[in-house]
Amino acid sequence: MSRQSTIDTQTLQPSPPPAPHRFGRSARIATMVAATLALAGVAIGYGRLSSSAEAPDAPATAETVSLAPGPRLLTLTSTGQVTTVDKNNPGGERAVSKTKCDRVYAAQGTVACLYADGVLGSVTMRILDADLKERKAIEVSGVPNRVRVSASGRMVSWTAFVGGDSYATLNFATRTGIYDTKTGTLFKTLETFSVVKDGKPYQSVDVNYWGVTFTSDDNTFYATMYTKGHRYLVQGDFAARTVRTLRDRFECPSLSPDGTRIAFKSPINGDSTRGWRLSVLDLATNQVTRTAETRSVDDQAAWLDNSTLAYAQQHDDGTKDVWSVPADGSDKPKLLLRNAHSPAALG
Amino acid sequence: MGSRHIRRASTATAAVATTTAAVAALLTTAPTATAATTTINPTADTYVQDSTPTTNYGTSSQFTVDNSPVRQSFLKFTVSGLTETVASAKLRIRVTNSGNSSNGGTWKSMADTTWTETGVTWNNKPVINGATVASLGSVANDQWVEIDVTSVVTGNGTFSFGGTSTSTNGAYYDSRESGADAPQLVITTGTAPSPTPTTSTPPPSGDPVLVGAGDIANCGTGGDEATASLLDGITGTVMAIGDTAYPDGTSSDYTNCYQPSWGRHKARTKPATGNHEYHTTGASGYFNYFGASAGDPSKGYYSFDLGTWHVVALNSNCSIVSCSAGSAQEQWLRNDLAASTKPCTVAYWHHPRYTSGSSHGPNTAVQPLYQALYDNDAEVIVTGHNHNYERFAPMNATGGLDNTRGIRQFVAGMGGTGLGGFGTIQPNSEVRNSSTWGVLKLTLHSGSYDWQFVPQAGKTFTDSGTNACH
Repeated sequence: MSRQSTIDTQTLQPSPPPAPHRFGRSARIATMVAATLALAGVAIGYGRLSSSAEAPDAPATAETVSLAPGPRLLTLTSTGQVTTVDKNNPGGERAVSKTKCDRVYAAQGTVACLYADGVLGSVTMRILDADLKERKAIEVSGVPNRVRVSASGRMVSWTAFVGGDSYATLNFATRTGIYDTKTGTLFKTLETFSVVKDGKPYQSVDVNYWGVTFTSDDNTFYATMYTKGHRYLVQGDFAARTVRTLRDRFECPSLSPDGTRIAFKSPINGDSTRGWRLSVLDLATNQVTRTAETRSVDDQAAWLDNSTLAYAQQHDDGTKDVWSVPADGSDKPKLLLRNAHSPAALG
Repeated sequence: MGSRHIRRASTATAAVATTTAAVAALLTTAPTATAATTTINPTADTYVQDSTPTTNYGTSSQFTVDNSPVRQSFLKFTVSGLTETVASAKLRIRVTNSGNSSNGGTWKSMADTTWTETGVTWNNKPVINGATVASLGSVANDQWVEIDVTSVVTGNGTFSFGGTSTSTNGAYYDSRESGADAPQLVITTGTAPSPTPTTSTPPPSGDPVLVGAGDIANCGTGGDEATASLLDGITGTVMAIGDTAYPDGTSSDYTNCYQPSWGRHKARTKPATGNHEYHTTGASGYFNYFGASAGDPSKGYYSFDLGTWHVVALNSNCSIVSCSAGSAQEQWLRNDLAASTKPCTVAYWHHPRYTSGSSHGPNTAVQPLYQALYDNDAEVIVTGHNHNYERFAPMNATGGLDNTRGIRQFVAGMGGTGLGGFGTIQPNSEVRNSSTWGVLKLTLHSGSYDWQFVPQAGKTFTDSGTNACH
């Protein structure tokens, strides 16, 4: 919990104006300015990084990209390059690495970089240190989709889409794995875990998991479990290899730094073909609060602090932007960073 | 093209919807002084809804077409007592006082007339499998929408029509239970119409065209009709680049989903097989449907010439028909390319070597095929699989940019099924779009080619360019 407190105290807590991330009219203007600055910075610093359908790679900056804890925001460019920017000034210059990931997350110096090599055809869960040096490589299969690291940096999880599973009643199947960096325990799929659904033991060949988020004890986790048309929030016990269902229509959970709420996406009217709504569940009251984001969100949101969510939105040309929205349903979404996705607050 | 596929907007009284589909030939009907008009109300009209699959809406005062939830409408008319030739038949349906939409739906005739108004549900709904009679654009509140169905209602008998929509903005119409605003079939008899072609697509001039896409016919999306309508106005050879009939490439998937749209271009289609075709053992539904034009069913690869170009269709289901170096397919390809006397070469298959699509990653199994084409100085590869459009810069088989000998690879998976987005944008990706159905048109000149993304009606995304042959 001390580490979570660190996250709380170092980041975007309510503070007197003109802190750029407070909400309200002046803050919106500040954000717009910040976004404009972001574009300008991009244009000056990295050539064509911000624009164009072509979206070529950005040159790596001279500055070393460190993913050590600190008040910075980690994202990937649309072409997958690891970048950081001052969390309190996302319009500032981005540090850009040559390292590429399809999805990234980091905490306490543990970096989870899920990477598909299009030339080799391999997909690897690369676990890197804060300086992006590889500590562990786990071969996985499928199309990279979600990745998460526990707040302590100990536990790592990933999800990839896998095609061709005949039991799929979705048009895809998933593989979700968990790796314990402390003990080396590795589960490449959670489908061997015992399931308790609605209070009773449950087995079905069509069980799929995606979107893990860890609690502070580095054992309990939440995830999505699919079976027979339902998309459940499950709570898992890694040591016991068990999960139990908590709620239906609940995907891609993301636990708040203080552990009290879970951000999630829910299929609109229960129909995922219509997209997803980004909402927040309060674990103490069981109340669900819809965020002010009315567009579909197909992402596992990240908490920038205990009150703000970040997530990606995609353009028709596949380029992505990171947006933020308050977790309490107030205000409205703000563009945080262009040409960016897979956000994670490093501190 | 046959008269079954004529789509026409008629003008009658007040506001009238216009069709958006491409029209290759318009017929004008000579007015007839001796005409008699009969107006008939439906014997049944209802709709079904995917989210309530066992519910019947037969007694509802409206029917609706929508894509979210998916709602389909069915109308049935019984025509009897006609003693003269039908000169014209018009289906008239009235938008409810709040049922307006940017998309009034796609309306087709139906072979099935056995369904009942109070019995039909999503789970037992009849198939909407006939000719398209209208692809409606915007419809307004209280508007009478008039659809020409002369090609369908040719005399006495029972006729069914079905409506679907690709839009999440549903359109609502008054059903027969509404009373005065009930649907009408207005039949004029008497002097036979004397159709006169007033416009037609000019004959092709000059160089051959190869046009098409992958990931095509998925009953219910309507996208395949949008792209088939584009083909109506484009002459040339059609490439159907796999996943032609969802969900499983069965014989009935071809009958119900592919035949009503791209099926009308079958005679000029040269297909390649995708993964969904092999949901049916041996892709037998695909090979039976396309017959000799799909090549040997044990192979699924073949080649032909178009003008000064050599064209190769390959089978990228490499776990079924191997693509590896030394395999029968790869050896055939090398021999075929070596034997070709044409200066330029284009190939197409389903699984992309390069793609940024979020559903399927770059496919390395097809690399030996790409390599063989590269070694023989081919110019273009067209693929599908991810349901979007992407153009890459010329590359070698291992991802290297190569402006001298490289092959330009396209992903053209926007043929009609539900569209999909992008993941990480891959190196040398030049243009992408995930929101537009369309076809990729290649004009094969002597010594060069033009490419053009032709978007569905009402959409603006496009992409075009020219490259010289190697």
